[in-house]
Amino acid sequence: MTAAPRWLPAWAAPVTLALVAAGLAVSVYLTLVHYTTTVKLACSTTGVVNCEKVTSSPQSMLAGVPVALLGVVFFVVAGGLCLPAAWRSQSAAVRIARIGWMVAGIGMVLHLVYAELFQIDAVCLWCTTVHVITVILFAAVLVAEALAVQAMTDPPAG
Amino acid sequence: MSKPKSRQQRRAQERDRAARLHSRPQPSSQRPLVLAAAGVLGVIAVIAALVTVRLTQGGTTGAPAKPSGRAPASVVRAVTTVPASLFNLIGYQSALAPLKRINGKALQKDGKPLIVFVGAEYCPLCAGERWALVAALSRFGTFHNLGATHSSSIDTDPNTATFSFHRATYTSSYLSLDTVELTTNQPQGNFYKPLEKPTALEQQLSAKYDPNYIPFVYLGSRYIVDTVAYNPGILAGLTMQQIAAAMRNPSSPICQAILGTANNITAALCQQTNGKPASVCSSSGVVAAAKHLPA
Repeated sequence: MTAAPRWLPAWAAPVTLALVAAGLAVSVYLTLVHYTTTVKLACSTTGVVNCEKVTSSPQSMLAGVPVALLGVVFFVVAGGLCLPAAWRSQSAAVRIARIGWMVAGIGMVLHLVYAELFQIDAVCLWCTTVHVITVILFAAVLVAEALAVQAMTDPPAG
Repeated sequence: MSKPKSRQQRRAQERDRAARLHSRPQPSSQRPLVLAAAGVLGVIAVIAALVTVRLTQGGTTGAPAKPSGRAPASVVRAVTTVPASLFNLIGYQSALAPLKRINGKALQKDGKPLIVFVGAEYCPLCAGERWALVAALSRFGTFHNLGATHSSSIDTDPNTATFSFHRATYTSSYLSLDTVELTTNQPQGNFYKPLEKPTALEQQLSAKYDPNYIPFVYLGSRYIVDTVAYNPGILAGLTMQQIAAAMRNPSSPICQAILGTANNITAALCQQTNGKPASVCSSSGVVAAAKHLPA
């Protein structure tokens, strides 16, 4: 295994990949629940916390595509952009794509949080888990990129 | 000994000086980290603001009811072009109330079996029924000028968004359709403002099979709809666009209720059209529903 370049935080790839794996697992679960009747959501179905109300709401679909499936797509692509090889790459396109993809993911999170709070009037804990993971992933990518830029622009010590 | 030592000292001094220079704060190199932190904090602040506004707002939020008018083209398209695969996926839904079996006359109009709808724009049960009826009848023909309305604001399931058949027309090679919307959704006196007058036939059929109740749908000689098959409360607070979108989501109770009801109606209509069109009447969803029609 190739060692991380000096300018790249050593934690960048493992931490972001771990977050991607967690987000992907929950998104796959929500997608399975959407497409099958045998898998049921382990979640309250009454009160403010009501996963079923959220996952069966009109807002659970975007242009005919279940948002749970969009979550799977998001984390699969994010996984590719967070591989060690992608992090080691100094290609501007890769770095812009990684940050851009995270911004898109955060945009979707904000849209869904708004929908839960103001349109559906219920909160899904599984969806919230994905939202939290996405926000942490967004933060990790931004901080890692910032530290990398900083290390590259700083003069070498000694 | 002193001369080399002095050179070493000078080199050491230069190294120290260079190290001191490099260890000074570099404002420009800190900028990426500051920007990253600002971005993350900005996202957290937006989410916190949304939660705060929601908590301080309290109560439920619902889409305001819209006045009657033309149905949005996107909604009409979504409801009248439901894929056969989705109808088949929903198939028969056991939770729905069944159609009512009758021994009636096979009425005809323009040489085709006649279907009759009697309802009113104020009526919340009619609001629920129209979604399924439009979806089902669109498998046999085409609606034009479908209206958009909502049930009464002061009745049960208030402001349920739905279509209106007022001024709508229907063309089909297989069926004829007569509809009457008795009143608007606007209160007037002790009831609601009259909208359309029922024909003698419409009055006669509803009086015979479902007196004083709406919705009433005469599905030909064998079946009628005497009430909506599902609880229209599941449509509460939703706009027409939201209901149409939910109808495309097979895990949504709205999709299961409306398309399940539409499959039951379609199965009954297929008995009037002698199984035509075969692509509709032989589809698995309709065949499944037909097996559960009351004998």
